[in-house]
Amino acid sequence: MVAQMIEGWNLVIGIEIHAQVNSKSKLFSSSPTDFGSKPNSQVSLIDAAMPGMLPVINKFCIEQAVKSGIGLNAKINKKSIFDRKNYFYQDLPQGYQISQYKDPIVGEGFVEIETENGQKKIGVERLHLEQDAGKSLHDQDPNFTFVDLNRSGIALMEIVSKPDMSSPEEAVEYVRKVRSILRYLGTCDGNMEQGSLRADVNVSVNKPGNELGTRCEIKNLNSFKFIHAAIVYEAKRQIKLIEQGESVNQETRLFNTQSGETRSMRSKEDAHDYRYFPDPDLLPLTLDDDWIKGLQDTIPELPDQIKERFINEYSLSSYDANIIVSDKATSEYFEDVVKNRNPKLVTTWVTGELFSILNKKNLIIEDSPITSKQLGELIDNIENGKISNRQAKEVLEEMCESGKGALEIINEKGLSQISDENEIESLVDNVLNSNPENVKKYKNGKDKLFGFFVGEAMKLSKGKANPKIVNDLIKKKLSQ
Amino acid sequence: MEFDKKSLLKLGKLARISISDDKLNNLSKDLNSILEFVDQLKEIKTDQVDPTSNSLNQKLEVRDDKVDTKNSAEDILENAPEKEMDFFVVPKVIE
Repeated sequence: MVAQMIEGWNLVIGIEIHAQVNSKSKLFSSSPTDFGSKPNSQVSLIDAAMPGMLPVINKFCIEQAVKSGIGLNAKINKKSIFDRKNYFYQDLPQGYQISQYKDPIVGEGFVEIETENGQKKIGVERLHLEQDAGKSLHDQDPNFTFVDLNRSGIALMEIVSKPDMSSPEEAVEYVRKVRSILRYLGTCDGNMEQGSLRADVNVSVNKPGNELGTRCEIKNLNSFKFIHAAIVYEAKRQIKLIEQGESVNQETRLFNTQSGETRSMRSKEDAHDYRYFPDPDLLPLTLDDDWIKGLQDTIPELPDQIKERFINEYSLSSYDANIIVSDKATSEYFEDVVKNRNPKLVTTWVTGELFSILNKKNLIIEDSPITSKQLGELIDNIENGKISNRQAKEVLEEMCESGKGALEIINEKGLSQISDENEIESLVDNVLNSNPENVKKYKNGKDKLFGFFVGEAMKLSKGKANPKIVNDLIKKKLSQ
Repeated sequence: MEFDKKSLLKLGKLARISISDDKLNNLSKDLNSILEFVDQLKEIKTDQVDPTSNSLNQKLEVRDDKVDTKNSAEDILENAPEKEMDFFVVPKVIE
């Protein structure tokens, strides 16, 4: 559907990500940053912009911005400047937001994403530090707006991409990748439901060969699903306008998560004039080389590097490796389990059975009912032939329900597989001796009967015989 | 730089200040004389000088990431003209 509608058109997408710095206190004040606290209980005199209050910057936030910059393969600017972005709104007590305009703390960088046509580099224009605004509630009262300033002054990193994405899928992959990198670095928790990471998406369309179209910005998208849906809707809307001979207005739009539509928020006529100027309360921020070098040494292994290592060390496919490394907790879980075990088996169990349980229960891997140690124990029992794959699935389900260990369940249920060759041989002999007619038919060329013998032997063992040994023994006996 | 009435009205709008017609002329005259005064700075040659956002020869002071709550919701709402359920209450912003 999307492809049909958009065929013959280029999409040009750029994204601004607002990522909340994982700090205990705010960017310029010592108020806490906890989510879901009582309204206005985390507001200092600075956050409420009382006269005479002066901002003092949080060192930790500077470090997180620089670490994020390194993770985005970006240039770290040794001198950056804080500016005032002036506008009036009820959730902005200062009347301006402290942000960075011409001289951000981090300059150009890039991230690599997986697309249908292989790897693609998406440029990062910049990353800068700024204050978050408060929160307005419009639906509490028919005549009034309620304001909570708890979020006011929390440190955000705004990450601006170059307009390098050309499909909703690429846009989603880009946000996923940036989020994953920030989570590996620990600079932002990436919690989109709580608003710790949100995206503004710029979309324009044009006919191939023509100059770029007029873009619209869709504000505040807080899930991958919404990012995708908003871009699809917006691209279709713009194409329809142009095809009808109308033109696209440059404007800011809001995405309605209920209807899946975007609507105009403010148009160009009352476009903001932010009148940026350097904040006289804050000196330029200067960083020295040794300090940056020191931070560089603390950067952990990032998803691209881990992916490469998993492919080399454990012979994972690029596809599997990608799934596992996209989330830090998943890659840690995988590495816990895979130590001294068969990587192929571990990959299947983690990305297959475990993921399906988590999906069903709507859990993240951090809250998995099966620990990496427990899954490891289960896989050990498959590897040593004690239980079959099919039995292991049963055991895993039981592990989820009861919280018991794999071995305990195997013993309790008497599930263990018979792998003793002598024992299986007597089963097989029994089957062959009681079916002399079929043995004769088989030897005369009725190959299909092989399955019959295996089935009978399995039945006789109540499903516990190791199927591979049964197969091998029957084959051997019948060829004698 | 000439500051016309249109720019003045725009500035007023951005600052949420209403400017009545009878004050427009005088205000515009005042602002223009201020701008003319400041424009003298343009006579200084600065093409060889880096932009200076601050004239103090000091490094930016930083603080550790420590939480220190000095005031409660009650304290901060004490000055609010209107409040309800620990929120600031302001006229409806959107319809």
